[in-house]
Amino acid sequence: MSDVTVKINGRSVQVPEGTYVLDVARELGIDIPTLCHYEHMTPYAACRICSVEAGDGNGWTKMVTACNYPVWDGLVIQTDNERAQRDRRVNLELLMSRSARCDVLSQLADSFGIDTPRWGTGTDTCILCGMCVRVCDEVVGAHALAFGERGVTRRVATPFDTQSSECILCGACVSVCPTGHLRFEEAENRQVVHQEMTLAPNSAITLPFRQAVPNVPFIDTDHCIRYNTGGCGVCADVCPKDCIDYDAQDTVVEDKVGAVIMATGFDNFDPTPLQQYGYGRLPNVVTAEEFEMMNNAAGPTDGQVLLENGQPPKSIAILHCVGSRDTNAHEYCSRVCCMYAFKFSHLVREKTDAEVTQLYIDVRSFGKGYEEFYQRVLGEGVNVIRGKAAEVVTASWKARGEGNLLVRCEDTLIGRFREIPVDMVILCTALEARDDAKAFGRKLNISTGADGWFIEAHPKLAPVSTTTDGVFLAGACQGAKDIPDSVAQGGAAAAQALKLLCQKTIMMDGACADITAEVCGGCRICNDLCPYSAITWNEDENVSEINAAQCKACGTCAAACPAGAINARHFSDEQIYAQIEGMLS
Amino acid sequence: MKTGKITSLETLLDVRTNLIQHRELGRPVVMVCAGTGCMACGCQDVAAEMEQAVAQAGLADTVEIKQTGCQGPCERGPLVVIQPEGIFYQKVGPADVKQIVEQTLQKNHLVDRLLYKDADTGQPVVKVQDIPFFGKQMRLISADIARIDPTSLNDYLAIGGYEALGQVLSRWSPTEVIHEIKRSGLRGRGGGGFPTGRKWDTCRRAEGEVKYVICNADEGDPGAFMDRSLLEGNPHSVIEGMIIGAYAVGAMQGYVYVRNEYPLAFKNLGIAIKQARQRGLLGENILGSGFDFSLDYSRGGGAFVCGESTALMASLEGKVGEPRAKYIHTVDQGLWNRPSCLNNVETWANVPLIVNMGADAYAAIGTETSKGTKIFALSGKVRNTGLVEVPMGITLREILYDIGGGVSGNKTFKAVQTGGPSGGTLIVEKGEGGAESTLLDLPVDFDELTRAGSMMGSGGMIVMDEDSCMVDVAKYFLSFLQEESCGKCLPCREGLRQMLETITGFTKGLGSVADLVQLEELAEVMIDTCLCQLGGAAPNPILSTMRYFRAEYEAHIQDQHCPAGVCKALVSHAINSSCGGCHVCAKVCPTDSIAGQAKALHSIDQETCVQCGACYQVCPNGSIERVKRGRGAGVQVRAAEAWTRKTEKHRVANA
Repeated sequence: MSDVTVKINGRSVQVPEGTYVLDVARELGIDIPTLCHYEHMTPYAACRICSVEAGDGNGWTKMVTACNYPVWDGLVIQTDNERAQRDRRVNLELLMSRSARCDVLSQLADSFGIDTPRWGTGTDTCILCGMCVRVCDEVVGAHALAFGERGVTRRVATPFDTQSSECILCGACVSVCPTGHLRFEEAENRQVVHQEMTLAPNSAITLPFRQAVPNVPFIDTDHCIRYNTGGCGVCADVCPKDCIDYDAQDTVVEDKVGAVIMATGFDNFDPTPLQQYGYGRLPNVVTAEEFEMMNNAAGPTDGQVLLENGQPPKSIAILHCVGSRDTNAHEYCSRVCCMYAFKFSHLVREKTDAEVTQLYIDVRSFGKGYEEFYQRVLGEGVNVIRGKAAEVVTASWKARGEGNLLVRCEDTLIGRFREIPVDMVILCTALEARDDAKAFGRKLNISTGADGWFIEAHPKLAPVSTTTDGVFLAGACQGAKDIPDSVAQGGAAAAQALKLLCQKTIMMDGACADITAEVCGGCRICNDLCPYSAITWNEDENVSEINAAQCKACGTCAAACPAGAINARHFSDEQIYAQIEGMLS
Repeated sequence: MKTGKITSLETLLDVRTNLIQHRELGRPVVMVCAGTGCMACGCQDVAAEMEQAVAQAGLADTVEIKQTGCQGPCERGPLVVIQPEGIFYQKVGPADVKQIVEQTLQKNHLVDRLLYKDADTGQPVVKVQDIPFFGKQMRLISADIARIDPTSLNDYLAIGGYEALGQVLSRWSPTEVIHEIKRSGLRGRGGGGFPTGRKWDTCRRAEGEVKYVICNADEGDPGAFMDRSLLEGNPHSVIEGMIIGAYAVGAMQGYVYVRNEYPLAFKNLGIAIKQARQRGLLGENILGSGFDFSLDYSRGGGAFVCGESTALMASLEGKVGEPRAKYIHTVDQGLWNRPSCLNNVETWANVPLIVNMGADAYAAIGTETSKGTKIFALSGKVRNTGLVEVPMGITLREILYDIGGGVSGNKTFKAVQTGGPSGGTLIVEKGEGGAESTLLDLPVDFDELTRAGSMMGSGGMIVMDEDSCMVDVAKYFLSFLQEESCGKCLPCREGLRQMLETITGFTKGLGSVADLVQLEELAEVMIDTCLCQLGGAAPNPILSTMRYFRAEYEAHIQDQHCPAGVCKALVSHAINSSCGGCHVCAKVCPTDSIAGQAKALHSIDQETCVQCGACYQVCPNGSIERVKRGRGAGVQVRAAEAWTRKTEKHRVANA
């Protein structure tokens, strides 16, 4: 479209024909108040607060809404003259006669100097701007909201005033509502759902977690409206750098590296199968990880410890060794639980008035300063019971007057069976190897132990190395360990890797296998047998070849070669025979 | 031939000649009005009885019985007109039918008691054309309603129907049609009065392959039934107009949006469209011209605001009927964002008329800026209510006195309301200070009415007498509009509520002069900022009544007095000394608040009286007075004293 000349408040400006007056004004820094305008939606012009006076400069004038009035050549706009001020003011007073005070209305009223609106102040929290209805319709494409009834009884409604199956719970309506009239309501009155908490910002376009590296957001395609209804696309609209690409696909990056450090970490043990603890079945039975999220000042509860009903707990039981030191789950000790359990006790005592009871098998406070911390927490009035919790049940089984849960255990120090009433139970779940550790280890030719952790080359002499040269271990993928240990091991692994990478040449062991090409029959039996993937097939020459740098001189190939083409250096048949003869002589 | 497709103008003319030839000249035709008004009075029974009586009299082959659309004088229904003589019988009941058949059809005698009696002389009037109600009218569009059976295409063809279409398709180019309409000076009859030719021209020039023509039959104004009568009584004229319009603007699809509350119009339109399709007047290659046009019809959902063009189109699209800003006109982006030419029923019905009589002849009727005729629905306190068609520029006096026959009862005219809820109320009898109002000689056309503070609207015309309170009238229209406001835009939704609250306060004696000033400001803001004309014109009832009847407002506010005695909170009913003691009032009083011995002065218990006014309506002596609230007791005391004096005088005289 061609450019036209428009005059706004006396300032002439060239803009494309058909641009809306509001956009032109905002471009010039002229403020026109709006209530129902949202830049990502078609203008609706229902609130009329953006009314301005349009004219042709020759005496003809008319009030128009700036948000949807397209400009034409010679248009003269007065955004702030007496008539516009009066019309806005009266309309605002009319709106206030219906609606309750809210920030957006109060601000606007202040700017007009309206103290007491002449038709009184209403009680409706909705100002009928229609943003929610339109965002659901135009942006989200779910069409779950509409206006019900008409005239003064007009209101925002779902079809038949019931919970709509069309609603995809995206929350777009809640986020655009300028007055807080729309809000989320928990269907079962659960204010806090511990199992669904996340440390990530609660949005479909999000950081994986706040300290993520690289710290860039990604789109959660399961929850993004764009991927669900094909609508929205607001993020692409607002991104000033055009970074949003809805067609982007996951890609596999292939890189050649000289060393690999395995730092794949651990999984948390899922306590659901241990039904005696009631996790997933009873309310307010939470895992240590969920509890830790609540403790995070930037977390979902802003650092508050809360029960499902949104109230702070009055008493908490912390159960040690859930899944650890247990023949039904993992026999090993997870090493970190005792200490973080005491940290929890300390935090709970600091943040709430709750009584804390710890149930332990025995306390393993082995690190530097650990024992001192344990003693300090004991001094803070935390109850400790030596005895593993047998089960957690709802208190209604046996009315005790307080708390909703009962923890049953045997107190082995006094030799008695006990029931502790609490309203929250924290399960200190075991650390376990990742379920894909074994499969992943196989790719790198490193092996896992019986409990799934990666096995180091030697527990004392090579604790971060593996049986594959150039692959090192760091952190909890090698075994349960706490943060200081993980950091130490990580440093060691990095040093090992650097040592390898800094070398200009690699010193190899003289002992390795080689293939006599003339003798090799090309059967390729050795290719698959080599545990270090050192043997490759040379298609052009039709022979197998050994990469000496990878060979560990295990001799497997030499033993298996049907043609006797593979020679294990330093362990050739002649040498072995000679050794035997030497020993026998 | 009779039901075959009509494929060219020549065939059309042949069909018509054929139809006329097959009708014996002079053969009696009994026209029973089956318009909505007469239907409510039981015309269906009359028609059924007529069929039976004619058959019994052995006249089934010689006498034709037709049920027509609304013939106009609804006040006098059920109507029976016997053609070709044009004998007009009014208020015919099933019991009268036998007499009509025996006397008029068989013996050519008149049934005197069913004839129209002149209001002044009392002399019977035989022929329909001699009745003064019709005398001053110029029935160009509505006359055919009385001549045809709306469900018969043949009837329409026989009176020259679709000939205009044939002429246009075979001889005129689309631009010639638009030129002709422009020359005729036709303006939209829906309310705005926009020049139709210009609208068509813009639509024709609008970019887009697909265009639509739409007929607005969502006539929602209280008291208006012009479009209803046209659609019910002569749907083919509307269809013909739409086909011509579609040809002119280049549309191949049309829609008629019929008000939900008009079942008969919907039915008759459906029949007409089906017939037109069957005979090839709708569909492909109409009359061999190569022009294709199909027409569908849709029913509204019962919202007044859907008469607004953008709301109507939203409703047609299946969305909620809410208006949108018309900064981009519907002729450019209307239905489904395509160029759409929307006109109302009466406008479309004018189109074949203009083609037939020629733009010049049409333009000769009316005033400088408003051409042709306009149909009004005359209702309220006049002797002759009903549908009237008059040339533009006729004075209010002619409509009210010559056609309407003056005010009914022994009352005096007070005001006339035109233009529906968005229109205004005009003083017709006395101006402020008793001066004779010049508005009675106001020429009725688009611009004069607007200048006087009202509007043409779609043609409702409600006459009010001295018993109407203007504050109450404004309140009525405001509450109608508030009820019908869609609620989308703020000033209409909330402004109407506040206006209504303020004015309701007036009718209860609560209010101040400051409220009047505030109302005026609110009205200005609403006119400035409402999204559509439902809100933009909504202050008209208040502004026009305040302009002409400010004293009445002031009486309500300052004296807590309703001069017309309508506002219940401000009046008391009281009995004055002229009471003859007939006890009729006591019998109708729903709360048993009236007491009195036979032939003695009655009195009203003000404690229990609900001011319903039933006694006021029935009192034969006019002894019930509506007085300012709180004065009733005084009147009664004075009446009792007067009564005592009167009876004392009688006693003395008799003694």
